[in-house]
Amino acid sequence: MAEITLKGLGHSYFTTPRGDDDYALKPVDLVWEDGKTYALLGPSGCGKTTMLNIISGLLKPSDGELLFDGKDVTEAGTSARNIAQVFQFPVIYTTKSVRQNLAFPLECRNWAPARIADRVAHIAALLELDDILDAPARKLSADQKQLISLGRGLVRDDVSAVLLDEPLTVIDPQMKFSLRRKLREINRATGITMILVTHDQAEAMSFADVVVVMKDGRVQQAGPPEELFARPQNEFVGYFIGSPPLNLFATQAQDAGLYCPALGVNITPPKQMKNDTAKVGVRPEHIHLSQEIGDLPRATIKAIENLGIDRVFSLWTAGGEPFKVKSRRHKHLVQGDEVGLTVSPDDVLLFLGSQRVECSLSN
Amino acid sequence: MLKLENLSTPDPKVPLKSLSANFEAGKIYTILGRTGAGKTELLRTLIGLDPISEGAIHLDGSDLVSTPIRAREMAMVYQQFINYPHLDVLDNVAFPLRRKKLGKALARAKARDALAIVGLAGFETRLPSELSGGQQQRVALARAIVKHARILLMDEPLANLDYKLREQLREEFPRLLHENAEGIILYSTTEPAEAMQLGDELIVMHEGRIVAQGDPAALFDSPPSVDVARVISDPPISICAGEIRDGALLFSDGSGAGATGLTLSKDGPVQIAIRPDALTIGGDIFATVKLAEFSGSDTIVHLQLPFGEAVMLVDGIHEFHPGNPLDIMLDPTALLLFSHTGANITERTD
Amino acid sequence: MTRTYHTVKYLCLLGWSIFVVFPFLWALSTSFKDANAVTSGATYIPWLEFEPSTQGWASLFASGSRGINIVTPFLNSATVTVLASIISLMLGTLAAYGLSRYQYRAGFVKNSDITFFFISQRIMPPIVLAIPFFLMLKEIGALDTIAGLVIVYIALLLPIAVWVMIDFFGSIPRELDEMAMIDGCTPIGAFFRVILPNSATGIVVAGMFCLIFGWNDFFFAFILTFTKTQLLPVAIVSLNSSVTPWWSLSAFALISVTPLALVAVVVERFMSRGSLAGAFR
Repeated sequence: MAEITLKGLGHSYFTTPRGDDDYALKPVDLVWEDGKTYALLGPSGCGKTTMLNIISGLLKPSDGELLFDGKDVTEAGTSARNIAQVFQFPVIYTTKSVRQNLAFPLECRNWAPARIADRVAHIAALLELDDILDAPARKLSADQKQLISLGRGLVRDDVSAVLLDEPLTVIDPQMKFSLRRKLREINRATGITMILVTHDQAEAMSFADVVVVMKDGRVQQAGPPEELFARPQNEFVGYFIGSPPLNLFATQAQDAGLYCPALGVNITPPKQMKNDTAKVGVRPEHIHLSQEIGDLPRATIKAIENLGIDRVFSLWTAGGEPFKVKSRRHKHLVQGDEVGLTVSPDDVLLFLGSQRVECSLSN
Repeated sequence: MLKLENLSTPDPKVPLKSLSANFEAGKIYTILGRTGAGKTELLRTLIGLDPISEGAIHLDGSDLVSTPIRAREMAMVYQQFINYPHLDVLDNVAFPLRRKKLGKALARAKARDALAIVGLAGFETRLPSELSGGQQQRVALARAIVKHARILLMDEPLANLDYKLREQLREEFPRLLHENAEGIILYSTTEPAEAMQLGDELIVMHEGRIVAQGDPAALFDSPPSVDVARVISDPPISICAGEIRDGALLFSDGSGAGATGLTLSKDGPVQIAIRPDALTIGGDIFATVKLAEFSGSDTIVHLQLPFGEAVMLVDGIHEFHPGNPLDIMLDPTALLLFSHTGANITERTD
Repeated sequence: MTRTYHTVKYLCLLGWSIFVVFPFLWALSTSFKDANAVTSGATYIPWLEFEPSTQGWASLFASGSRGINIVTPFLNSATVTVLASIISLMLGTLAAYGLSRYQYRAGFVKNSDITFFFISQRIMPPIVLAIPFFLMLKEIGALDTIAGLVIVYIALLLPIAVWVMIDFFGSIPRELDEMAMIDGCTPIGAFFRVILPNSATGIVVAGMFCLIFGWNDFFFAFILTFTKTQLLPVAIVSLNSSVTPWWSLSAFALISVTPLALVAVVVERFMSRGSLAGAFR
């Protein structure tokens, strides 16, 4: 088990990178605490696989250092790092039984048979594979095979971290949930750090204590799921996390501050700002519609999508800006209705040049 | 009108069992079902790729089964991104028109229009392998709509795309599909929200049968059977055992469910279905958090209740620690009741 | 550490390269030697170590006692190999496509049995086939003719083509054929318009195997021809007399290797252009 530190870690596939664009992974500082679950999340080509390969030792970084518990392992080979890896497709020995599959890594290390039996029994109990220990591995379902792949990694008693490279892709939707739950339980029971690579935000957010959102080789934000949702660091995270994505509204300079006509709110920005690119962001869940309009800012409903439990309203502001609201109420509203908008000050975010800045609302 | 009569197939894995249905021109039909429910099998049978063992398929009164695939005037978009690797994007889309003996220039002009509609103007000379997954699927879609086929079949077209791309394309689909306004569109999916969002009419499949067909919102509000309720609910609907005794609704632990808005006329055992939005925080039911999941921008909390397990939906992203206690309120107006055979027996008082 | 590693790596590669290239250098230098130079021990550098002579190369275009004319056997070999390869590729590709896409059944014989039948042709030792081939060609009067050899070579090359192409078609998603039919192609049309244009990799690989096996065959060329239709491998052997003419043999060997080497270079260029890679995932 280990704490993993990325110190200015970056990688370029070019021998002499000429600029930021040549980096598949731009240099980054991160500390991954022992025993927590992490997710690397981003669209394809965002650098998450590059980062994973550096941590597993398949790739030597061009820049920076990688530390396990303070020890520099940048140059160490894969085997020296004691990392267990689960791939997209289950990797199992199809000619062996479940028990033989689990015992194999220990046999390779010449453990005594009694000790192997103990350890295999322990891991099998943890993964709830006890009932099928003597079944031939090739006959199992995809999610069970994936558990065996994981078990073969965990069976060694010196595992420093488990890397999961999109392990749920081939699993049936109905089984995904139970496998994800089992992974979390194993993390709790063993205290082994787990790092998941995925492009599915729901998967990342459900699995990880800390989600690292990446794009174009750059870490956009690393934080717990609720923070990514409520306080996105920049417009990309606001767009990528949440469905529908974060709404953005234009602002106007007014007196000493900013005014957002769509929502009718005055904002006091930080002192040093230039306001030409300022935008206000509000989550579709955080805008409330009301039919008693009064003095409230107005909007017109353009379309309504009924998703079953939720409804997604597409609206125009009075100034013609499109935005969305997601709600479980307002079943009586129809297309063409005019509604008033309210937002809670806590839910209003300010973005300058696409980066979020702290702000306060004034009246 | 497309008409299925007692359609059955010999497929050893997912045989279709006596399907009957009517599809009208100008409508989008979404076919909802889990993996293995027979959705793909139905589409493949309609287009003629798989044989039928019994029954009939009629299009405007004429028999389709004996018509060869190429003459069926159908288009299909697969779950996998299927394009012709040796042709550039423009010729990929022009391909079906060229097979209809349309002149090269005219076919290409029409293909160019179709590409503009799917948002790929400017990509005409690229090869499919040089495009991202989302773009490849747009090419496949352009090739399907350029034919203005009588029937357009879409087999989970978004399943292999990234989360955000899926969201984006799902939003564009209603506009794109209306390009085929005269056609019948069948769209299969495993995701209830997608089916609700896109379908003029919803067809629910389960184990090779059509188990419900109708207005999406109506089916969601009042599913005819417990199987339909399960398939159509995401996050999952929770089913708890209970009974009606002396006009009161009781859970298996003997606690009363409250029955506001429900008529409980017949005593006996029932299955009580709890929608994820029927549960809210703050009430008198003592629950324990088993696990929390995030989906889009909601939190799905799995709870252990005194009378069984249930799933609760909470707006926004919030942290819930497994093992923590939580007091829960149950909204009885959002309950559904099913008989032990699975039939919907909910009676609402107005 | 990395430095030592790289040094060792490149030394190993260098060693292997020498091992591969050396026979060619040897043959090249020998082809410019005369009897004296050959028998006076191992020498490599012309003018310095031995006096170069073009006698070996000249003997390939002479006739009678001074050597043998290589032009006719070369053309014979080329004709037989290319013809047999093209026909095998055409038949093999069609057969493989049918076997990979449609289910055939004749009694207990299924697709896998038919495939095995094709491949089994290469499992049995060639000697088993020699006598039947000889008798059959004799029966139709095709012994010692180009046509007869082409027929026999097709029988030898067809299994290779079928084998490679079945495997290749298996890697093309079936949905591609289906899509072509949905888009208005007949089953045959789907093959020619969609599958064939995407089969370059498989056809090139299969074609290369056919050319190599066809060009290098000695056994059948030796048994089924006499004097009229001589192929290269047989002609080389016929050079051998009481005094082995190493200079002629070397020149001859270099010439017969050249076409395959050229094919290899062209194919390598073709492959690395990336036109074949990444068509399917």
